[in-house]
Amino acid sequence: MNTIPPIPPTPVVELDNLKVRLGRREILHGISCRLGASGTGKAIGLLGPNGAGKSTLILTLLGFLRPSAGHARILGLDCQHSSGEARARVGYMPENDSFIGEMSAVAFLRQMAELSGLPPDAALEKAHEVLFHVGLGEARYRELRTYSYGMKQMAKFAQAIVHGPELLILDEPTNGLDPSARARMLTLIGEMKETQGMSVLVCSHLLRDIEQVCDQAVILKDGLIVHECNLEEDRRSNRRFVELEVTGDDRHLRAALPGIGADGVPEGGGRWRIVLPAGVELEAIWGLAAQQNLLIRKLTHRRDTLEEIFLKAMGHLAQTPGDSAALEGQA
Amino acid sequence: MAVYKRGYRPYRGPLTGRMARFLVLPRTAWRRLYQQRLVPLLTMLAFVWPLLCAGFIYLTNHATLLQGLDREFRQFIQVDASFFATFMYVQAGFAVFLAALAGPGLIAPDLANNALPLYFSRPLTRWNYGLARMTVLVGMLSIITWVPGLLLFALQAGLAGGWWLRENWTLGAGMVVGFLLWLVVLGLVSMASSAYVKWRIVAGAVSLAFFFILAGVAEMIDQVFRVRWGHVIDPAWSVNRVWCALLGVDPPRGPGAAASAAALTVIILLLVLVIERKLRPVEIVS
Repeated sequence: MNTIPPIPPTPVVELDNLKVRLGRREILHGISCRLGASGTGKAIGLLGPNGAGKSTLILTLLGFLRPSAGHARILGLDCQHSSGEARARVGYMPENDSFIGEMSAVAFLRQMAELSGLPPDAALEKAHEVLFHVGLGEARYRELRTYSYGMKQMAKFAQAIVHGPELLILDEPTNGLDPSARARMLTLIGEMKETQGMSVLVCSHLLRDIEQVCDQAVILKDGLIVHECNLEEDRRSNRRFVELEVTGDDRHLRAALPGIGADGVPEGGGRWRIVLPAGVELEAIWGLAAQQNLLIRKLTHRRDTLEEIFLKAMGHLAQTPGDSAALEGQA
Repeated sequence: MAVYKRGYRPYRGPLTGRMARFLVLPRTAWRRLYQQRLVPLLTMLAFVWPLLCAGFIYLTNHATLLQGLDREFRQFIQVDASFFATFMYVQAGFAVFLAALAGPGLIAPDLANNALPLYFSRPLTRWNYGLARMTVLVGMLSIITWVPGLLLFALQAGLAGGWWLRENWTLGAGMVVGFLLWLVVLGLVSMASSAYVKWRIVAGAVSLAFFFILAGVAEMIDQVFRVRWGHVIDPAWSVNRVWCALLGVDPPRGPGAAASAAALTVIILLLVLVIERKLRPVEIVS
């Protein structure tokens, strides 16, 4: 009996040797990757220091910038040749202030919804609905220029979702928000992906935001992808990281760690970072330390945070033990 | 269920076509334009002259009302090419001021508020946007230019009879084409000035200054070099020269209609280039 092979899901973002130049300067140096799967309601975080090329990548995906080489696709559509079709399925929230100050929020959202193809009546209804949803219901007839910064951020978010896009591109969505507004924004983003099934691409320099809402993270540095990680998998994994501080001669500890099924890297001054696989308990560390005549001064166990992943990708931190093992394995 | 109770649900209904999306911008822009006090006021003022012209047409076509007048004077007050040319000059002047008043409010606020990325992140191209803004201006200025002109032409044709229409149909066609040419120039100048100057009032002043300065420069070239071709850089003069050819009235001294049309084409292309460079979702500093 013939079975139909499963159709691979369309990646949300697909880059193929993408190079982008701004003037005479090349910003993106031939990056390739496949991120997310459309319709799965996952969020991708785009991280990187200033000047890494995050905004350039977003602008290229929206078709605002023309690649000097390679291709960029969103939801399977070429960002240059099918930009109209692609943009109809995307909602974009820019980083900077973007609105029409003389318009009321409801008129502004209605216009944006109509430009995306909603009939006038449906556009008006959605404008009201979305403004209530993001918490601007009472202020929806006020001119946008009278809004506070936090309200403007919410209005920008509202215009991005008013037409029900499949992909939401958010550039620094929590910039300048107070803690409660930030929490509200992150809740809304989470809701869009989990309840509404939208794919979300978030560009932010706030690692905690990315860690909170994203399932996948891509780290850019100097126009190149330096790291890709699956945060969802990391959250689910049972890998436990142990921070250990010992006194004594710890030169043989690294060689001894595989004996208990663990792996670790020294960080100097008797400090170690050790990864314990599932099934290996902390007692094994105590036992090993006793064998090596080491005095344990500190033992804490924690998982690798996105901040550490980011700093490692930037070259400011040593490799995670598990990663180093993987690299050695590959070698 | 009340809108505030039901929460957010993505829209999954039918979508409108390209033309409906294109017309969204003109529709909202017209609504905003006519909410300004000066725009409807100036538009109403611009109807005074067409009304006077309509009265004049009525008068010339009613012999009984003219019986008391001198014969030579009766021959002087004819509805001919000169009549329509005079009508066009006055309305063209109103159009300049209305374009300077309303034009900058179309693009300048979008640039000042950085709204272009929001427009262009939707299925709307830069050309669509520019054309939509142009439609707003041409539509608004049409109300005071070729539309009343055509109504006057129809009034004269109706009162004078079929023979007049057969002999003078080129006047009507020439008037519409001539006005549309002027509106395109006005619209582009207005858009270009508002694309570069974010303050509305200054942008309006710049679009007015564009015509005065070029007229002055053209005059200077003619005086300094003792030539007549300097007028080709004055768009108002060039449009007037084309109008004369279209209506068949005596042209002013200077370059011919073909040279003026060519000069206008170059000016229009330059203005389109200027606008194209500015209407971008992101500004690239190389």
